[in-house]
Amino acid sequence: MDQIVRYFFDFGLLSAYWPDILRGFLITVEMSILTVVIGIPLGLLLAILRLYGIRPLNWLIIFYIDFFRSIPQLVLIVLAYFALPYFGLVLEPFTATVLALAIVLSAFSEEIFWAGINAVAKGQWEAGRSTGLSFTQTLAYIILPQVVRMSIPPLTNRAIGISKGTTLGSVVAVPELLNVTSSIQSNVANPTALTVGALLFLLLFLPFVRFTRWLEHVYAHPRS
Amino acid sequence: MTALPAVTVPSPETIVSIEGLRKSFGDVEVLRGVDLKVGKGEAVVIVGSSGSGKSTCLRCINRLEEPTAGTIRVGGQEITGPKVDLNLLRRRIGMVFQGIHLYPHKTALGNVTLALRKVVGLGKEEAEQKARHHLGVVGLAHKADSYPAQLSGGQQQRVGIARAMALEPQVMLFDEPTSALDPELVGEVLNVMVRTKEMGMTMIVVTHEMKFARDVADRVVFMDHGAILAEGTPQEILVNPQHQRIRDFVMRSHG
Repeated sequence: MDQIVRYFFDFGLLSAYWPDILRGFLITVEMSILTVVIGIPLGLLLAILRLYGIRPLNWLIIFYIDFFRSIPQLVLIVLAYFALPYFGLVLEPFTATVLALAIVLSAFSEEIFWAGINAVAKGQWEAGRSTGLSFTQTLAYIILPQVVRMSIPPLTNRAIGISKGTTLGSVVAVPELLNVTSSIQSNVANPTALTVGALLFLLLFLPFVRFTRWLEHVYAHPRS
Repeated sequence: MTALPAVTVPSPETIVSIEGLRKSFGDVEVLRGVDLKVGKGEAVVIVGSSGSGKSTCLRCINRLEEPTAGTIRVGGQEITGPKVDLNLLRRRIGMVFQGIHLYPHKTALGNVTLALRKVVGLGKEEAEQKARHHLGVVGLAHKADSYPAQLSGGQQQRVGIARAMALEPQVMLFDEPTSALDPELVGEVLNVMVRTKEMGMTMIVVTHEMKFARDVADRVVFMDHGAILAEGTPQEILVNPQHQRIRDFVMRSHG
């Protein structure tokens, strides 16, 4: 028991490193938020574009989502950072990681939104159109509100899963939380820093999960 | 085919006029040349076996189905042309669905106000006032703030009628409005439809409710295999049918 405490909970060792840890934590938070706020709206946009049924565009969209759902995020981050410069696009490690993760999240969220759109009964479209609402109005006021509501639980899962991929940023030297804490682990030869890292990840994602549960609750249709 | 019975049109003004309407789904011809005129304030009930094309015919009138051939005029305006503003057209044609299709994320009031605000362009207060009036007409003023899931099927369909009536259409289309309801909830919806007729609304109703057809219809149209087999007063069509097929149908419906 003593050993466990000494190995994993020796917080005294970290006194010099708190600023680094905090900085790493903030970078992780920033990357996670950016990934979600870019990835999910982009996925929604793709699903909406796909709905208009423009054939060549749909082929592109389907290729995009299939490709980015299949490729490992790590590979994508490495490509974004090391390969794009050959095409004249040099990205910061931070930007390359966020871009790669946001694209992957957009591909997965497109599929979630698309499934949601298809799950709304055809009669909802007919009811809307029969009152004179245009296609776009019906989509905006009748279909999407229902789609967004039913998409929240799967989107939450996906967003959390992919946000945890921010730790992959360490391969291109983003000083995010896992990168910082595992360096400290090597420096002080003690894994307490990783314990702190894990606690901070909990601190980041638990409120997020709680928040989406609350959203689900608020959005749930009243049932008799 | 025997001669069609003489048709009495109660009003000189024709609201809906259908000529030579054909509709195919792939190789299957569902409507094989339908001609029908509906006068202002008239209630026409379309009956017939399932698969006879009555719902498809109704759905062509607001172009939820695209006619393959033929012309349809509503209020004198041809609706089948390429330049027709569908949204403007549909605003003048109310529709009530078998599946009801209320918007589940909106209250009864929200269901009725949506098109009033976004299509007609009324302000919030005016739209709500109008919506409350129409909810009152269907007897649901007290349920304005309920969500569809909190209402019975019959109440939901009455909201569906209010949603369509609030746009003050020239004609109301009812596509089997009571078929999805529990038997004890059918009456309240039919009562609202009777009321709608009494208010002078032009109505085309597809239904299996033979009592409603007998008591309320000005004219009954019997469809069979994508065409109108006979039309006339409820008495002529449902009480003393001339065709064997209609006699069989009426027997089966034990009207």
